[in-house]
Order: sequence, then structure tokens, then C-alpha cells
Amino acid sequence: MKLILTGILAGLLAATAARADEMVFTSWGGTTQEAQTKSWAAPFEASSGIKVLQDGPTDYGKLKAMVEGGSVAWDVVDVEMDFAIKAAKDGLLEPIDFNVVPKADLDPRFTTEHAVGSFYYSFVLAWNKGAVSGEPTGWADMFDLTKFPGKRTFYKWSAPGVIEIALLADGVPADKLYPLDLDRAFKKLDTIKSEIVWWDSGAQSQQLIASGEAAFGQLWNGRVFALEQDGADVGASWKQNMTAADVLVIPKGSKNKASAMKFLATATSAKSQAMFAEASGYAPINTAAKAEMPADVVKSLPDAYVDGQIDLDMNYWAENRAKIAERWYAWQAK
Amino acid sequence: MSGNLLYRQPILRRPDGVGGALPALTLITLFFVVPVVALLLRSVTEPVPGLQNYAILFGDGTYARVFFNTFLVATVVTAVTVIVAFPVAWMLAIMPPALGSIVFGIIILSMWTNLLTRTYAWMVLLQRTGVINRTLMDIGLISEPLPLINNLTGVTIGMVYIMLPFMILPLVGTLRAIDPMTLRAAALCGASPFDAFRRILLPLSLPGIAAGGLMVFVMSLGYFVTPTLLGGTSNMMLAAMIAQMIQSLLNWGLGSAAAFILLLVTMALYALQLRLVGAKRMTGGI
Repeated sequence: MKLILTGILAGLLAATAARADEMVFTSWGGTTQEAQTKSWAAPFEASSGIKVLQDGPTDYGKLKAMVEGGSVAWDVVDVEMDFAIKAAKDGLLEPIDFNVVPKADLDPRFTTEHAVGSFYYSFVLAWNKGAVSGEPTGWADMFDLTKFPGKRTFYKWSAPGVIEIALLADGVPADKLYPLDLDRAFKKLDTIKSEIVWWDSGAQSQQLIASGEAAFGQLWNGRVFALEQDGADVGASWKQNMTAADVLVIPKGSKNKASAMKFLATATSAKSQAMFAEASGYAPINTAAKAEMPADVVKSLPDAYVDGQIDLDMNYWAENRAKIAERWYAWQAK
Repeated sequence: MSGNLLYRQPILRRPDGVGGALPALTLITLFFVVPVVALLLRSVTEPVPGLQNYAILFGDGTYARVFFNTFLVATVVTAVTVIVAFPVAWMLAIMPPALGSIVFGIIILSMWTNLLTRTYAWMVLLQRTGVINRTLMDIGLISEPLPLINNLTGVTIGMVYIMLPFMILPLVGTLRAIDPMTLRAAALCGASPFDAFRRILLPLSLPGIAAGGLMVFVMSLGYFVTPTLLGGTSNMMLAAMIAQMIQSLLNWGLGSAAAFILLLVTMALYALQLRLVGAKRMTGGI
């Protein structure tokens, strides 16, 4: 019964599936997917003659339903890296064919057997210069209500980042973060809980900071970059900036696997990665991409702030995703 | 040929509606009944067969809180919507039809604007540095910004605004059907305007209030975008929690169990209302 039903569901989802000379790329929408279309899909279509249809937003539930039902409509999907690690373990992903996708220049931090990097970003400390007197210098300042009063904004959902920030602010050395001491992190977060405004989407984080509704926040560097481009009066501290990545995966059972592999080769190439970085403010996962970019763009990327940079541990998160989420939402709801 | 036609007497049979309802029934069975059964099955088979998902939902304080929040928000939103919608519906019912349809159009128009856009607009209005707080502070009415967002107040304001048309529509239908002479008669018999409202207009409009109220309540129970954006984390509602379980954590067993409980409660409410108000009066009100 369940199988049949999943089949029906997946069949409906697959009604939009691509023809042989087409493939479907799925990402999160917004400016990010626009940049991916322009920097990756357009050159790929030109060189391969394969049309890339855009779909989205990424939905892990949908991906799982498609794979389980054996009717996969998505060929390449942009997902968060901790999800990719978990999904590979659950058998939802095709292994990457590194004979088609050149691996030599790919950042090993964001390359696995079942995923190649899409782009990477850093969480940085951003603030509205009009709403803050003085200049915050690190995560600890976000927990100092006397020196820096006002609302602060953090990412709402259970994901790598906020727990680590709380621990760093509480004095945990960067190399001793994992395994995460959740009790300690929540205790630290309790001290500022009443002053936290949660952001739910990148757009919201920008709106909160730009309007001064929140004086500071933990933001994706690409979003801060966009605010600066728009002329908003914002500052940013890159001290202990924390990297995380989106990766590209091929759902198990993709009908256009060969095209998908070729697409990954184009998307992760130095040139495409450079174009995307320039358009989005996110960092390339191809180490040769820097040579293809203007100097001022290189300067604005997480690559320029590797000193003290912390890589959020995606393997740890993939392993403990559910357990942490349970604690997280219970704490939030209190 | 013609004899054959004449012979087909059953065509004259009183239509019972079954044939006409068949497409809709098929659609509902395929795309509602079947998935609901699948949902129920998932909730008792994943990750292992048994009732452990329900045990988790009922045994955990956090989930209990989310359930409570969900019903609290739906109740408050329904109550406020009825109070705000009633005068509007009454005005629409007694207005000259030409003017009425313009006002109606304006109300309907709001439904055609993208939900997310409207919710973001409320964020801009309600936040601490938003239009409302700025204005109130500028004219000196308040010295500290009012907490209008990231709490129950924000959710209620945002949701009432979205739900209003769903309350007004059935209510106008009911109110229009009330003979205005009954009110005049009440006045002639010495009833004060408030008495006339309380003892004549209100009871007569109950079917409309019930129909609209149920629709608003049920829609509120499953609401997602507005509570997520205008509420705080302590106002998390069931729909947001289910979405999180299904889309992000891939805990389909627990998500299905939560969804099934929500569905059961909704159906129980509907059954209760049918009993109280009666199916005829309710559908007649729409």
C-alpha cells in the first residue's frame, strides 16, 4: 500500500520530469538560483546542447519521496552539506563520477563521494552602524548586554552555527567545539534569550539589520555583501567567521544521470565558480577560481578571512541532526 | 432508433446527484482519502511498527505546548475575526448593491495579493522600528516601542487580516437573508438597538457566524507562513512543526502522527458543529 502510494505521489512529481536532451536543476530560488542559472546553466546549455530546466525550492521531503517512489524528477539538487552526508548514508544519492567531474581543484572540505561543493559561505557578525554605538569585535559581544544593548538576530532553525557561536562566546576554544556541549550552549543563550529576534530567511535577516530592528546579527556573508552593495549602513566582523557549504547532489534514480554529471563538471569549474561568486558574494569551492575573479570580489569572500576561520563540522551535524533539533525546539518554545 | 430512445425511460428518473458528483468524489478519494490513509499508516509504521510516534507527541512537554499554542492562536484569531467582520458584513448587507459590490471588490482584492508580500508588509508596520511604533513615539503617546511582533499579538493581527474575507463572505449571505423588517418590528415593540442586535440580529446570523467561524478556525489551525514570520519561537504552531519534521528532519513518522492528530481534531470539531448548528442551516448560510 505504502509503496503504491509513494509511487503515485512520485509519479505526479515526475510529471514535470525532463526529456532526454533536458535536465532539471533544483535550488533555493531567489538571487542565489538566478546567479546559478546565469553562471552555470547558461554556459552548460551553450556547450552541451542540453537544456537545463529550473525548479525549486529545494525540499528534502520531496527529494526523499521521489527517490523512495522510484520516480525522480530532479537531476541536480542544491542542498546543505550536513543533509547531503545524512542522505548519502540513507541511500538517497548517486555517487559522483569523478571521471566526468574533475576533482583536482575542488576544495576537499566540501567534496564527498556523493556530493561536490556548490558554494560556501561564512556566518559573520553584522551590525547596523546607526543602531550600535562602538564596534563589536567578536561573537562574545553579542552576549554582552551592557556594552551592546539592543536586539540581536540569529538563524531560527536548528542548524550549524548558533550553538557554536554561544560556545565560542562562552570561552570554548575553537578546536574544542566538538562534540558540542549543548547544556553549556543553551545556558549561554539563556542569558540573551529575551533580546533575540529570530530570522527565518536570508531576506528577513537583511530586513532586520538594514532597518535597525535588530542592532546585530549572525548573517550569511553573501547577504551582508548585498546590503553593502545596496548602500546600507552596515558593518561586519569576520573574526571567527564560520564556514558552511551548500553542495550539489544527484538523487538516486535520476533519469538524466549522465547529463547531471556533465552539469556538475561545468558548475564546479573554475570559470563558472568565479562567475557565480562575483554575482552572489558566496565563495567558490574550486580553488583555481580566484585567478578568474576581479581583486575586489576576491577581497570580499570568506577566502580572504581564513585567519581564525572555523569550519562547522558537517559530519558531526549529520550524525546528530535530529537529537540537536529536538533540544533546540524545546529550548526555543520555553 | 426513435423507439429505442423512447424505451430509455430511466432518463426521466429523478436525478439523485450521484452521477454528477462522481468526478469530484473520485478526485477527493484519490487525492485526499488515499493520502490520508497513507499518512496514518506512516505514523504507525515509521521508523518501526507501533504507536511510539504518538507516545512521543503526547509524552513530551514541548509538543504539548505546540498543540496548546495552535489552539490558542486559532481561538483568538477566530474570536477577533468575528468581532471585526460583523460590522463590515452588516454594512455590506444593507448598503446599496452598487456601492456594496465596490467595497466587496476591495475586500476580495486583498486575497489576490501574494500572502508572503502581505506578511512582510505587516512586519514593516509592526516591528519595533516600524511605522506604527515610530508614529506613536513621534506624537508622544508611548516612550518605548510596543511589542507588536514576534508574539501572539503579531500573529493575531496578521492572521485576522488574512482571514477577514473568509468570515465576511458567509456572514453577508446570512445577513442579507434576514428581513430588515424584523429589526424595525423589534424597535416598534420598544427594543433598544442593543436589544434588537442581541435578541434578533445575532441569533438570526448565527449560522453565518458558525460557518465563517469554523472555516477561519480550521484554516488557522493549519496556518504556516504568518505565524512563522510574525510570531516568536514560543508561538510555534503545529503546521510549522510538521513542516520542519517532514521537510528538514525527514522524520516522516512523527510528522505524520502530528498531522493525523490535527486532522482528527479538525474533523471532530466539524462533527460537533454539525450537531450544534445543523448541516442544513450551516450550508444554507454560505
